Amino acid sequence: MDPIASHSLDFFDSDLSVNSKTVARSLTNRILSGVCITLSLLTMVPLVSIIFLLLEKGLPLLGAGIFTELPPAAGMTGGGFGNAILGTLVMVGIGLAVSAPTGILSAIFINEYAPTSRLAQTVRLVAKLLTGIPSIICGVFAFAVVVMATGTFSAYAGGLALAVLMLPTILLTSEQALMGVQSAYREAAYGLGATRFQTIARVVLPDAFPAIMTGVMLAVARAAGETAPLIFTALFSQFWAKSLNEPTASLSVLIYNFSTVPFPHQIAMAWTASLVLVAFVTLANITAQTIFSRKN
Amino acid sequence: MQTSKEAPEKMTTDQSISPERPDFISVKDFNFFYGKKQALHAINMDIPERQVTALIGPSGCGKSTLLRNFNRMNELIDGVHHEGDIRILGKSIYDKGIEVISLRRSIGMVFQKSNPFPKSIYENVVFALRISGTSKKSELDECVERSLRGAALWNEVKDRLHESALGLSGGQMQRLCIARAIANRPKVLLMDEPCSALDPIATVKVEELIRELKQQFTIVIVTHNMQQATRCSDKTAFFYLGKLVEYADTQKIFSNPSEKQTEDYITGRFG
Amino acid sequence: METARHILTSFEDALDNLRKDVLMMASLSSRSLENARKGLFDRDEDWCNTVIADDEEIDALEIQVDGEGMEIMLRFHPFASDLRNVIAAMKTSVNLERASDQSVGIARRARKLIALPLMPVTSRIEPIFNLASSVFNDSIKSYADNDIELARTIKGRDKELDELNREFADSITEMMPQNPDHIRGFLELIFIARCLERIGDQAKNIAEDIIYAVSVKDIRHSHAAR
Repeated sequence: MDPIASHSLDFFDSDLSVNSKTVARSLTNRILSGVCITLSLLTMVPLVSIIFLLLEKGLPLLGAGIFTELPPAAGMTGGGFGNAILGTLVMVGIGLAVSAPTGILSAIFINEYAPTSRLAQTVRLVAKLLTGIPSIICGVFAFAVVVMATGTFSAYAGGLALAVLMLPTILLTSEQALMGVQSAYREAAYGLGATRFQTIARVVLPDAFPAIMTGVMLAVARAAGETAPLIFTALFSQFWAKSLNEPTASLSVLIYNFSTVPFPHQIAMAWTASLVLVAFVTLANITAQTIFSRKN
Repeated sequence: MQTSKEAPEKMTTDQSISPERPDFISVKDFNFFYGKKQALHAINMDIPERQVTALIGPSGCGKSTLLRNFNRMNELIDGVHHEGDIRILGKSIYDKGIEVISLRRSIGMVFQKSNPFPKSIYENVVFALRISGTSKKSELDECVERSLRGAALWNEVKDRLHESALGLSGGQMQRLCIARAIANRPKVLLMDEPCSALDPIATVKVEELIRELKQQFTIVIVTHNMQQATRCSDKTAFFYLGKLVEYADTQKIFSNPSEKQTEDYITGRFG
Repeated sequence: METARHILTSFEDALDNLRKDVLMMASLSSRSLENARKGLFDRDEDWCNTVIADDEEIDALEIQVDGEGMEIMLRFHPFASDLRNVIAAMKTSVNLERASDQSVGIARRARKLIALPLMPVTSRIEPIFNLASSVFNDSIKSYADNDIELARTIKGRDKELDELNREFADSITEMMPQNPDHIRGFLELIFIARCLERIGDQAKNIAEDIIYAVSVKDIRHSHAAR
């Protein structure tokens, strides 16, 4: 073999040829890939089984009456849980009305106005601690503040409990959304002579809006399904609520109540209510993922 | 290169009315500090009206810092302070009676990396007008056409004004940023390495644009590219370690500088 | 004048090579002039032939210097003193090549004189030759040393050379009616004196270019004597 050819062949020396070491490497790779794929598939199992279970058990009673009629008395059949659906929507709405402005504006403060100040650092820390508070404590808090002060269970109390629950999520995701806005945009706005308010209102918020909305929707999805905060704030009601200052029905509490009584019809109702609740939560999540990110 | 055909007639009349001041922007004994660190030492220079003045020097020499002081953008950073004065048309920009916001609205700035807002082309250009309170559609439309023509971009985008600005090429985006900066008819245009992120053809288009713009605006440009300084500018100032080493006509600086430091820098013996 | 080296060594080397080539041309030109002198005054045809042959090398070097200069401008975009030096080098090479052509002219005419019987009046051209040589060599030295003081003296001495040439031509012309059979020789001598005068002009050009390169003072076409 001439010297040039043998010199180039040094490149393809024994280290590059297929041998036992490479076979073992390839096998390890394939095993690891297989493990990852299997576990990924496994994570889908709970979700898929829940959906199947809900559809199986909840579909039978699903009908127009669910949304318009009141819960049946113990042992009776028929009826629906329109008041619970309305109650959930109302209380989540109240919670949103309190927590969304507070959370978003606080996020604007800690990210745009004084990001390095002591106050901002404290707010951030408090929000992070709040995310860890058990949901039942939110209920206890609302009980102490609203129920005991007004002397009655109410949608206000329930709404407040949900607000406390949603606030840290909204605040922290809004802060992330604002941080995600390129500082180049702010610089351009200031360079053009915009005030801080104009910069936030015209440049930063519009750009961060999809991400903020995502955070809000996620908070809504979580709050809608909470039971513990509502148990001793809104309690429950068999009737349509005539005002916000009285015990109010909600889907989560209805499910809790109906699933523990020995009447098969009520239990079937609980399944249907679960189906409706999951549908609502999924809808909120999908909205967050698609409609708002499409704006980007 | 398309230019506004209407503008030149107007400009000649203007030029005959207002003779050009050699000290349109005047920097007097200016020292600037980032906290304890002094970034500019005793800068004295007069920037002439309706000419292009280039600021050159190695990295960290203070040229961008000085530029950003002309519209007080440095004040957005915590802990900065200055000594000395900067005057525009004889009036100090640090005067108590001057609102920083108004100052910035009468000075346009173009940055190194083009940063159009994630809005439509139209909205980008009229941003400065909107924040000044203008909302009449006819005024906004007129502004859009005038500014985009002035930035030699009108013909390329006139049919897609309401499409996102982020869909433009790099060179077009930078010209859009220039259009945005001149929309509110500032007197001064500050450009911080406007071409460093552009390909050679886009660069040359922007340089041609600068040549046309100087009929209306006083332009100060920071550049790393010495060939660009020789092509574009009328006067050049060489900075080193926060000091103004030499300031003269561009021809003189690049063919026969007085200071050895300047000569060493432009001939590539240091820096 | 330059103290620090360029950071880009390829630039520094290119400038060095350009300078070396110009200096090579200069020494060859200077030598050609000396050889022409030997050929003329020693009546030696070999020296004349050497001058004519060497001109080829000088022509080739001029083309080379031109090419190197262009390449430096293209690649390195020189500024300030670098730019002036490159341009001075390219212009000086042209002047050196022309001076060498004058030496060739002298050599050719000297050859013709050698074919003719010796004329004593030939020795009268020696002072002109000496001055021309001295002026030419000093212009080369001023380029080599960047010596503008020396360069400044060239203009005046070139004027002197012009003066000498005029006197010589006049006196030879006067001798013509009395010595009709020497007319051909006289004409060759007048021509040689002209060549020497032109060499002085080339030296003046070199000096002016060096003064501009170093001090940015353009003294061309001004009629001040010194």
